[in-house]
Amino acid sequence: MKYLQFRWKQRLLIVLLVSITMSILMMGLELTDWAVNINQTGYSHGDNDTKPNIPPILMYVLPFIKEIILIGVPLFLTLIWIKIVNIIKRMSSHNKTKHG
Amino acid sequence: MSNWKQNLHKTRYVMDAILLISFMLVSAPQATGIAVHEWGSLLFIIPFSIHLLLHWDWIKNSAKHLISNISARQRFNIIWDYAIYLMMLLAFVSGFLISISLFPALNIEINIQDFWSKVHHDSATLLMPMLGIHLALNWSWIVKLSKRMSQRGE
Repeated sequence: MKYLQFRWKQRLLIVLLVSITMSILMMGLELTDWAVNINQTGYSHGDNDTKPNIPPILMYVLPFIKEIILIGVPLFLTLIWIKIVNIIKRMSSHNKTKHG
Repeated sequence: MSNWKQNLHKTRYVMDAILLISFMLVSAPQATGIAVHEWGSLLFIIPFSIHLLLHWDWIKNSAKHLISNISARQRFNIIWDYAIYLMMLLAFVSGFLISISLFPALNIEINIQDFWSKVHHDSATLLMPMLGIHLALNWSWIVKLSKRMSQRGE
């Protein structure tokens, strides 16, 4: 772990100081009109007592499948996008060398 | 694989794998339960900090790179990494402010606001596609290191 141990105290202190400062600034969001509006209208997510009628094993598996989809689909789409951009770049540079 | 601690890229690879697995575990409170979610999130600060420390040189030079003549993809990558960091902080902050297990166990009373519940849910959900794009932008490195790590004697 020599790479992790190199000046780790000094670096960790900087990371923590920056993160704590940013966090304190973020806490100021609760003073905005946006926060006041949400607190007035209320918000609830998944705290209703009715349990979904699905096998118990799925209760443990489905959250991870949701994560895999939420991470995997943008990952896959971005990879396709990068591939398309690379193909276009290669084609345009090929055309330039052909005509130039 | 035995000498991964002696190589920066391999150390990053192993630590990033631990970071990804721990992120997925703490991001599923429906499966793990709220207590594991909250205490696990507190522990998650460790692999997250290790990730930042192992990319210290990148972080240090990123601001300089941003104003230099780099490709659009590199520029997007830097901005995206900053955005993920901020979103992760927002998820942390909002999560601690709606804690029902962690802070009460430490005898700290907080007034939970609907605003922070919404921010926590939205930021945590948004983090996942952001992470997916982050992984895609570093995909060639992931594939290269996966191959190197799976080779015998490496």
